[in-house]
Amino acid sequence: MDTIDISNLNRQFLFREADVGKSKAEVAAAFVMKRVRGVTITPFNCAIQDKDDEYYKQFKIVVCGLDSVEARRWMNATLVNLVDDETLIPLIDGGTEGFKGQARVILPTISSCYECSLDMHTPRAAVPLCTLASIPRQPAHCIEWASVIQWPKEKGDLKLDTDDPEHISWLYTRALERAKEFNIPGVTYSMTQGVVKNIIPAIASTNAIVAASCCNEALKIATTAAPYLDNYMMYTGNESIYTYTFTHEKKENCPVCGNLPQNLEVNPEWTLEELMEKLQERPETTLRKPSLRTSSKSLYLQAPKQLEEQTRPNLEKKLKELIEAGDELSISDPGMPFNLRFIISMSE
Amino acid sequence: MSVLGAPTAKEKKYDRQLRLWGAGGQEALERAHILLINATAAGTETLKNLVLPGIGRFTIIDDAVVKDEDLGSNFFLDDSSIGLPRAKKACELLCELNPDVQGDYIDDNITNLIQSSPEKLEDFTTIIVTGDVPVSTILSLDSLLYPTDIPVFVLKCVGFTMTCRLALSEHTIVESHPESTVDLRLLKPFAELVALYEEKAANMDDKEKMSTHDHGHIPYVIILLKALDDWRSTHNGNVPSNYREKNEFKSFLRGKMWNADEENFEEAIAAVLPYFNPPSIPSATREIFEDEKCDKLVSGSSDFWIIARAIKEFTYNMNDGLLPLPGALPDMKAESKDYIRLQNVYKSKARTDLASVMGVVRTLLPGLGRDPNSISESDVETFCKHAGYAKLLRGRSLKDEYEDSPKVKTISNELSDPTSLIHYYLGLRAYEMFISEESNSGHVPPGTEDSTAESDAEKLDQYVKMLLDKLNITHSAELLEGTSKAVREIVRVGGGELHNISSLAGGLVAQEIIKVITKQYIPMNNTVVFDGISSRSQVYEL
Repeated sequence: MDTIDISNLNRQFLFREADVGKSKAEVAAAFVMKRVRGVTITPFNCAIQDKDDEYYKQFKIVVCGLDSVEARRWMNATLVNLVDDETLIPLIDGGTEGFKGQARVILPTISSCYECSLDMHTPRAAVPLCTLASIPRQPAHCIEWASVIQWPKEKGDLKLDTDDPEHISWLYTRALERAKEFNIPGVTYSMTQGVVKNIIPAIASTNAIVAASCCNEALKIATTAAPYLDNYMMYTGNESIYTYTFTHEKKENCPVCGNLPQNLEVNPEWTLEELMEKLQERPETTLRKPSLRTSSKSLYLQAPKQLEEQTRPNLEKKLKELIEAGDELSISDPGMPFNLRFIISMSE
Repeated sequence: MSVLGAPTAKEKKYDRQLRLWGAGGQEALERAHILLINATAAGTETLKNLVLPGIGRFTIIDDAVVKDEDLGSNFFLDDSSIGLPRAKKACELLCELNPDVQGDYIDDNITNLIQSSPEKLEDFTTIIVTGDVPVSTILSLDSLLYPTDIPVFVLKCVGFTMTCRLALSEHTIVESHPESTVDLRLLKPFAELVALYEEKAANMDDKEKMSTHDHGHIPYVIILLKALDDWRSTHNGNVPSNYREKNEFKSFLRGKMWNADEENFEEAIAAVLPYFNPPSIPSATREIFEDEKCDKLVSGSSDFWIIARAIKEFTYNMNDGLLPLPGALPDMKAESKDYIRLQNVYKSKARTDLASVMGVVRTLLPGLGRDPNSISESDVETFCKHAGYAKLLRGRSLKDEYEDSPKVKTISNELSDPTSLIHYYLGLRAYEMFISEESNSGHVPPGTEDSTAESDAEKLDQYVKMLLDKLNITHSAELLEGTSKAVREIVRVGGGELHNISSLAGGLVAQEIIKVITKQYIPMNNTVVFDGISSRSQVYEL
């Protein structure tokens, strides 16, 4: 759904200056069809989540050039859910950061899936709010102060648009003032942009290595000309050329491709609402509006309205009134394309 | 409308790479003029990855005309190119990628150019050799260019296999981009740092004189220096040196906490293992100091060697064997003003060290016939910050590899490992011999005809044995099993270039070229082999 930005041109060989602002999918498709005879490419200028299972079922291989953990989890879970007697669509995924990158092949339910390896991505530790608010020490602290605290305070409901140079410039000015007040050196416009947009450096050569590796795996799977990657290759170019190729192991209790529900210890005195809050804090879940069921009853459902009203009183009830140790708890959420399954145990 | 501090159009376009190699790296790229020998798929893919980030200029030399089969693997040739000079068409389609880049072509072959006007080769800053160039031509290029410090990359792509060889006699790197340049000098604190911790930590153990808030905000560097002082007084003046003592020291720190959630003390405990090492000079830096070029400066010595020599003199003669302080300080729990003060103590020591090194540089330059101010302070500063991370690569010429001093031991050691990628290297050397020897009968790569594929493979087996015999490497059928498999894989594709592998090779090689041109990050030395079947790479010094 993305459009072409001027900063894409340093690595995107299908886009030109005149294409800035146009749909990436449409321009890329048109360029390749013009250059290579006999190939048909259908662009869709939409989010991957806009397409349903039937749509994805038509493909023999899916290659991902996604830029977020969220989108990758969604695509991965979708292809795992599609697996049946007739369908098994390999997923090839690649990504880069600076001089580093990786490519992998996922055979849904057979080899380790994206969800199995989620713990390989350690999210950046957030700076405590009190550091931003009262004891900044780094230029980044001043920039985050400007965007997290000052923007909502001074601009009210106006949404911060990190692509708007005037917004960035406003943050930069505020950050600079703050840095001056605390004698902190090093705030620049470029750093301001980098911090608020979480910019990841990207270059043509690393992207070529990873993209070509993904294509190479797709070609091997499609033609059976050679065995495909089993199942992960990491590349680092900072010092010499280093690749590490290994089999990432499937996680037995993977919530997407595993068969086993995970254990969940709960306090019987918690209310259902408290349990939901605790679940939302867990790192492997990205719950927004969870619905909870056991195999025998609905504990809380977000929709339809009638059922929501019917189950709402349960939110106040204590867990010991609703469930027992050994029950299987199933959680669905619009933020996740799969259900989380837990076996309940009660703490003392 | 102008926006405060906003980037220029060029900075916007190159933003994502400037964050890696900065304005200095970009300028070096813009000064570069790259020669591509043969517009093969791997060649044009390499150039693509250099044109997009904005190299100054490139030239393609190639006397081939575009054939139908080129279109199956080369993205920078199209339908309308058939029958036209390959150098010209590839140049056009590559230029179109980036209006900042100037592209030229020569519709000729490299063997002719070497014979007619070899001096022209010295116009280029980097040379890429691709396609089936005869070994004799590659060796002539090598003998012309190796002494000039113009890097030559020789790239081969056959089927799922690629190799790239870099021939460059010397490469020096200051900005190697280490993960961190932090050097806290905890075990050898300088005077200003001692004065600061004596002042700030005097009441660290006194609940009467220090508030809980202040105690929870002492920067961990100060905590560690004070605690070390206390430790020394009960340990005969010694610091914790081994793992066991460091763990004891951690418990000692824990005992100094006033309550369980003092993050600054947790940070101090976590810093014991990484930062409690006596300052030493890393081996890569010692290699630079001990190199003849550092000791024997001449009028033509590069700035790198002059600054290296100044840092060496500073380290050994003026600074008790310690490198100049980089001056970086990691973030830590602290009040703003205390952190900034600590940061300034490190920074000002780094500036003092820099001034001393600068002084040595200025005294060295006149003796070399140069203006004492002809090396900028910012270059010296960059080197001082990276003194423990600078790197010298000494390369080997192709003549060394092929004739004068082949790496017999490396090859024979690898040979016994059936999964080693050295088997592909040997297979491609045999392939090269086949092309040189058999091309008189019409330049046909091995495996082109199905009917002669097995006899071609047997010929390659023979060339492998000839090569090993020449190197005095003993071999057996068992040892050559891996090579024999590699040979059959090479023959299977009949010399064909696979676009995927060419594209991957183009990425790998362009990245090495960028590292060499910008003199940032560390390039491979000197041969990489990639196998697209197992998706593995190995680097050998050959």
